[in-house]
Amino acid sequence: MNISVIFDNLDYLLLGAWPNGPIGGLALTVIISALSAVASALLGLVFGIALALSRGGARSLLVVVLGFFRAIPVIMLIFWSYFLLPMLFGISVPEIGTVVVALSLISGAYLSYSVAAGINGIDMGQWEAGYALGLRRYQLLRLVVLPQALRVMAPSFVNQWTTLIKDTSLAYVIGVPELSFVATQVNNRVMVYPMEIFLFIGALYWVLCASFDKLAGRLARKR
Amino acid sequence: MSIFGEPMAPRYLLWLIQGFGVTVGLSIAVCVAATGFGVSVCGMRMSRYAPLRAAAAAYISAIRNTPLLVQLFFWYFGAAALLPQGLVGWLNTPHTLDLGPGRLSWPAFETLAGFFGLTLYAGAYIAEEFRAGINGVDNGQYETARSLGMRPRLIYWLVVLPQALRIAWLPVVGQYLNTIKNTSLTMAIGLAELSYASRQVETETFLTFQAFGIATVLYLVAVIVTEAAGLAVARSGRFAWANKRS
Repeated sequence: MNISVIFDNLDYLLLGAWPNGPIGGLALTVIISALSAVASALLGLVFGIALALSRGGARSLLVVVLGFFRAIPVIMLIFWSYFLLPMLFGISVPEIGTVVVALSLISGAYLSYSVAAGINGIDMGQWEAGYALGLRRYQLLRLVVLPQALRVMAPSFVNQWTTLIKDTSLAYVIGVPELSFVATQVNNRVMVYPMEIFLFIGALYWVLCASFDKLAGRLARKR
Repeated sequence: MSIFGEPMAPRYLLWLIQGFGVTVGLSIAVCVAATGFGVSVCGMRMSRYAPLRAAAAAYISAIRNTPLLVQLFFWYFGAAALLPQGLVGWLNTPHTLDLGPGRLSWPAFETLAGFFGLTLYAGAYIAEEFRAGINGVDNGQYETARSLGMRPRLIYWLVVLPQALRIAWLPVVGQYLNTIKNTSLTMAIGLAELSYASRQVETETFLTFQAFGIATVLYLVAVIVTEAAGLAVARSGRFAWANKRS
């Protein structure tokens, strides 16, 4: 074991080239995770509501699209957005944007099912009582159903975000300098201490993910 | 010319098909090994000896809370430091085994590291699915069998496990689907599976739509076929008996 390789490269592993260059390392992993978490929650809410409330052809189409995102590997979707996004928008999209789009779509697809399950789990009597009071469908959803459903869904959101943190490592394949990428850079430069380097960044990820996991467990018990 | 470009030359198509073959082969090997390994980890996790339980819990936590990519890097780059020098040298040199009609060649080091890393990863998840299955069997089943005079060991084999297996089956199939998708990460350690092949073809031909499109369709086929097979087993004879009751 040689710990000094970690201390010598600690700044680079945690912050990347910052402040002399773009931010990277653990900080970038946290940034990508946070952006994707927010975007995936929004997508999950919108498509989850659509999934729970739509019927017939529209619902089938939605099921196929969501199923597609759940069936293909994250790496393939990163390749697709890396290639398609600049074509769709006619501008060059930064690599970080590419990764956030891909991760949000996949996490959003998984969350849609949790949201739909949460909404479907609300007793029909709640809807009927709301209608009897003269509430409109949208008001009912916002004021009565979602507040209850969100409490049920909270653990699955947190679980999905744990998966998301781990999946940010896949930004490696298009050269985004997040934690896994800078670790391989340091490993390639130093050559002789791969165990120390990957154990250390494994521990960093573990702290991030295990604390989220604890939070999910606590939320699930509180319910 | 459309965005799809000219039709792809056959030899690039062959690369993709070979990559798909590696993906399928690796997935099957990992699923088989991880199921066996997951059962043993589950046994440890539910053992009556506290140190075994703690070891299994620590292992599961370490695997589930770190990215698979980092684990693969650890095994690929770090294994050399963990294993004795002689063994690493032996693993890195090609070996063949004569089997009468055909010859079996020893897989390359990245294949071994990929197989090992994926198996340890999937095994941790499968162990937890089995544990959930066993915990999902109603306690009354055990108590009823006990009151009929059956011994605890026999109850486990004849009453609890058959039901636990049925409860755990579809979640375990879900882990098999994840394994198929996760084999794509081995491209990062240089294993020439489907994702790796699609990027090779894309770099050489610039036929991006075709290269990624064919690879995506092949992944979809693998996932859909596996899921359909899993559902078919769940609905067939012995399995359906339990599902009707639950």
